[in-house]
Amino acid sequence: MHIPDGYLSPSTCALLYGAAAPFWCTAFARVKRILNTRLVPLLAVASAFCFVIMMFNLPLPGGTTGHAVGVGAATVVLGPWASMLALSIALLIQALLFGDGGITTLGANCFNMAIVGSLVAYVVYRLVAGGTSVGSSRRTLAAALAGYAAINSSAFVTACELGIQPMLFKDTGGAPLYAPYPLHIAIPAMMIGHLTFAGLAELIVSAGIVAYFQRTNPALLNHNASRIPANGEIETARQVPARSGWGGAGPLWIRLALLMMLTPLGILVAGTAWGEWSTRDFSNPEMRQKIAATSSNVAPPAQSPRGLERWSAVWSAPFPQYAPAFVHHPAFGYVISAMFGSGLIMGFFSCLNLIVNGRVIKRKSP
Amino acid sequence: MTNPSRKREFSVTVPIFELRDVTYRYGKIDALSNLDLTILAGQRIALLGANGSGKSTLLSILDGLYFPQEGSVMYCGEPLTEDRLQTQEIEFDFRRKVALVFQNPDIQLFNPTVFDEIAFGPLQVGWPKDQILMRVSAILERMEIVHLKDRAPHHLSTGEKKRVALASVLILDPDVLLLDEPTAALDPRSESQMIDFLVNCGDGKKTVITATHDLDLLEDIADYCHVFQGGQIVAAGTSDEILRNHELLLRTNLVHAHRHRHASGEMHIHPHRHAHEH
Amino acid sequence: MSAKSRGPVERSLSTFVDALRHTFDAEELAKKNGLLQKLDPRIKIAAILPLILIAALARQLRAIVAIFVFAVLVGLLSRVPLITLARRVWLATLSFTGLISIPALFLTPGRAIYLLPFFSWTITAQGLHAATYLIMRAETAATLSVLLILCTSWNNLLKALRVLRFPIILVVILGMTYRYIFLLLRTAHDMFESRRSRMVGQLPGHELRKVATASAGVLMSKTLQIGEEVYLAMRSRGFRGEVYVLVEFRTSWLDWLILGCFATVAGFGFWFGR
Repeated sequence: MHIPDGYLSPSTCALLYGAAAPFWCTAFARVKRILNTRLVPLLAVASAFCFVIMMFNLPLPGGTTGHAVGVGAATVVLGPWASMLALSIALLIQALLFGDGGITTLGANCFNMAIVGSLVAYVVYRLVAGGTSVGSSRRTLAAALAGYAAINSSAFVTACELGIQPMLFKDTGGAPLYAPYPLHIAIPAMMIGHLTFAGLAELIVSAGIVAYFQRTNPALLNHNASRIPANGEIETARQVPARSGWGGAGPLWIRLALLMMLTPLGILVAGTAWGEWSTRDFSNPEMRQKIAATSSNVAPPAQSPRGLERWSAVWSAPFPQYAPAFVHHPAFGYVISAMFGSGLIMGFFSCLNLIVNGRVIKRKSP
Repeated sequence: MTNPSRKREFSVTVPIFELRDVTYRYGKIDALSNLDLTILAGQRIALLGANGSGKSTLLSILDGLYFPQEGSVMYCGEPLTEDRLQTQEIEFDFRRKVALVFQNPDIQLFNPTVFDEIAFGPLQVGWPKDQILMRVSAILERMEIVHLKDRAPHHLSTGEKKRVALASVLILDPDVLLLDEPTAALDPRSESQMIDFLVNCGDGKKTVITATHDLDLLEDIADYCHVFQGGQIVAAGTSDEILRNHELLLRTNLVHAHRHRHASGEMHIHPHRHAHEH
Repeated sequence: MSAKSRGPVERSLSTFVDALRHTFDAEELAKKNGLLQKLDPRIKIAAILPLILIAALARQLRAIVAIFVFAVLVGLLSRVPLITLARRVWLATLSFTGLISIPALFLTPGRAIYLLPFFSWTITAQGLHAATYLIMRAETAATLSVLLILCTSWNNLLKALRVLRFPIILVVILGMTYRYIFLLLRTAHDMFESRRSRMVGQLPGHELRKVATASAGVLMSKTLQIGEEVYLAMRSRGFRGEVYVLVEFRTSWLDWLILGCFATVAGFGFWFGR
């Protein structure tokens, strides 16, 4: 699933670096808050572990073998944020040192595997494991499902990124400049391999590692347990992070991020949304036909309704048709609009929070 | 391998470490229990004991890495507590003066190259760049590892690693050297090289505390021994005294007794060490 | 180890050994006296990364090919044997990307130029272009990044990343990760080796899976333990959370000259690749 250089356009790469950056920053801040001075050594060895795990050749049912990314295991034991960082670092070293995965596409690979993977694994694990005790078999099942879901989500996002390339980036002759397979080929092609082999490998590693720790050192699985903070003989001093503020909205962030990435799928839908017509559409014969076709063949009025005309002049949107003027490709327009819109909403509520609660949170320096 | 034991005059009799009734617990196990120990400045001490007898834990306590659940630890008359070490000035001063060489060099060598490893300590305590470069070169020469300067730790032999580990602490010129099994896992030639370095590294002024179960090391590097068993000191004395006490050595698992044949042809069982004497 | 009985244990072992050898070769090449080896690592990064970007941006095939040829030339001047480049980069990329591109020849809509006899599939011009773009881009980018790696010691490369505003803490973590990858690889290798030596014939699938996951679990345990111990070792030497990097890079006239050459090639690549 490591995307090499040349498969994604530079603009896609830049976009995904940009998408990964806030997650990296947030993850770093959170992990630093929990680990403090232990950050450097623990993150370094965790990344080294992820790197080595990716090299394990795992026997799968049916006689084949596969490789796992280890995102399920890393998320369950280290938590989603540390897992994001450790996997990103491992991916960076793979790309730089071993040429596994490109340098321009590093942001994309980290986003797909480390970020999306960790978040999906975390949500699934928490949902399935619930409040069961650390040693229960349901936890092992939860870990297995978390790993499986994570790797397939990563594969799906990867397939989407690859699939929109031929649609958006073609040379003057019409030849795709980067990944040449459109969505309807890319998605099935990637998903088949991952729903079966790669997914199984991930499932096995996640379940295996959790089962191992259940037997030997259950305390290490504690920090992701229910609300009870971990105490006792844990070799690594970790506290359960406070579930307040933005942190508590973890699952929502994931859904938001996934939804943002999926907005370009709207392009695939033929036609326009019913009812979302502009005043111009009423005088355009082609549009009139489309309106009629989607309205049980009732012809639209000859002129646009007066109320519509009066009110549509009141506000002109900065990004009409979800396409900011400087962006030429509709898919980008969608995603950028989604990010911009979400950012505005979150910014608004942050300000509201600051005004209402009037506190400024100071970061603790080491 | 026996050298005439060095008799040293202690001109300073200030206790550098004083432990009173120290207990350290790992979960439910007492690694050290009710330990009393005084170490004077300039002494060369050996902590003798089999694996698991508590000597490594003691070294970590002396280095301010672990703090006992019960009892008190004093360094140069001041209490050595976690709170006190929170202050940067106090901690830097302590870390510069007291140095620990870990048993496992792979833990101690965590930097990507030998040069970075040796420069790590000085960088942390804030030496200027030029001074660091100068002192690193000096210590590389002294430990005869100049050719290893840009080598990565995973390309070093165990003997080289241990020398680099020693170099990385000696660069700060500490007053106290804590050595955890310095000759473990070394082949005979590397071991004798290491012993040579260790004998000289004290410069005659440093306090050197060595934890080991290797009795061959004893006469070269220590004047006084404390024998550990089960987290407690069961005996103390000069190196000579301890080495002659076969019963003690057998009891504390520092030598073994098994059936063997002497040159005369008789079969014997008695405590002994496998080392040749000249 | 017979070629037939290459079960997962053997294959994992050979992956570990390959990785160790791979970096050993890299470190050997980095010591040679070629062109790239002589340059300041920061200059190398400033020279090579933009070129990778241009190769990725170009819309004209000839620009990409030109950059590729330039890269090979630089490689030769840096005493990187062509066979090394072929083995490490070209063959691997060709087998992966080449294989992936083949369906594109037939599936890409456009002007048909060739009909495959038995299957009656048509190769389109656009399909051919698409496949060529993909392969050339992948090869060029891979060649450039491999040259960067092979001719610079990993440690210096990391330190040079500071020029890209990489945070110091990341540089330090990456250095430590690299160092401990080897320790963990060795540990994993030893675990698997001891396992393999006790195996007679092939274990059934589910047993092998148990071996793999148990090894993974043991490795993770060891990893966390090592992390904690290294932390203590760092504290022991005065670490309080601040990270430092001692950098001793110095540029010379050669650095700036070569940077100029690379920049010129990048400029041409950009201009002719529009």
